[in-house]
Amino acid sequence: MIVRTPYAQMLGIRSVGLDGDTDVLMMPAAASLEGRSGFLYGGVIASLLELACLEAVAQDRGEPWPKPINMSFDFLRGGKMIDSYAQARLVRVGRRVVNADAICWQADRDKPIATGRMHLLLD
Amino acid sequence: MDEEDAFERLKNLPPRGHHALLGIYNVDHGPDWAELACPFAPGFLMDADAGLVSSGPIISLVDAAAGSAIIARTRQWRPMATLDLHIDYLRPARAGHSLHARAHCHHITRKVAFTRCDVHDGDPQAPIATATASFFFTDES
Repeated sequence: MIVRTPYAQMLGIRSVGLDGDTDVLMMPAAASLEGRSGFLYGGVIASLLELACLEAVAQDRGEPWPKPINMSFDFLRGGKMIDSYAQARLVRVGRRVVNADAICWQADRDKPIATGRMHLLLD
Repeated sequence: MDEEDAFERLKNLPPRGHHALLGIYNVDHGPDWAELACPFAPGFLMDADAGLVSSGPIISLVDAAAGSAIIARTRQWRPMATLDLHIDYLRPARAGHSLHARAHCHHITRKVAFTRCDVHDGDPQAPIATATASFFFTDES
């Protein structure tokens, strides 16, 4: 479970339960996550997306963390200083490589603030 | 030192927000680049027993270094937003090692700045990640 990792705890991330096959992660706003005044730090939003992908793969495989190969992020809207949510989807689970994507939203899931695509290596 | 210079102003700002949480500090800079670093912290770990370091702090450090490189090049204090970021993880970061990110701002248009960034954890010859990021100036000029 990603929420037990020291890094997710540093960001205050918790799980708000399954939606379909994968967990929805929630990150409450905190002064320590702020970038420019009044907005969430972009790197923190990206980290939440990445943790959602890792969590989805770990849930699917039931074994330790896959290795990140690379990840691309698009930032669609400024992140306000309110609760943020993220959920990943496994696009393809191969023998060695997983392709996943994730979205991050705040008040309205239909208005994502960022999206990410990730490749992960399975051991 | 030029009191009006945006990069000098940036360098001397007290850390706040997520920069303060990660302990990000300035290492060096040039006319179109900036190197930032942050010390290792136990909160960076994914798995304390295995010493596995999360890539999250690396992304945040890249974002910070790229923004600094743009201000190093433009010498202007323009509000900007990260448009996109791509990161390749070349090898795992080692627990207990400081992270260093050196970003170059290699091109600027009226509204967009393009950057590249190399990240290492002690040996610049053995990078742990490379990244590209573009930024959009949100002001009206």
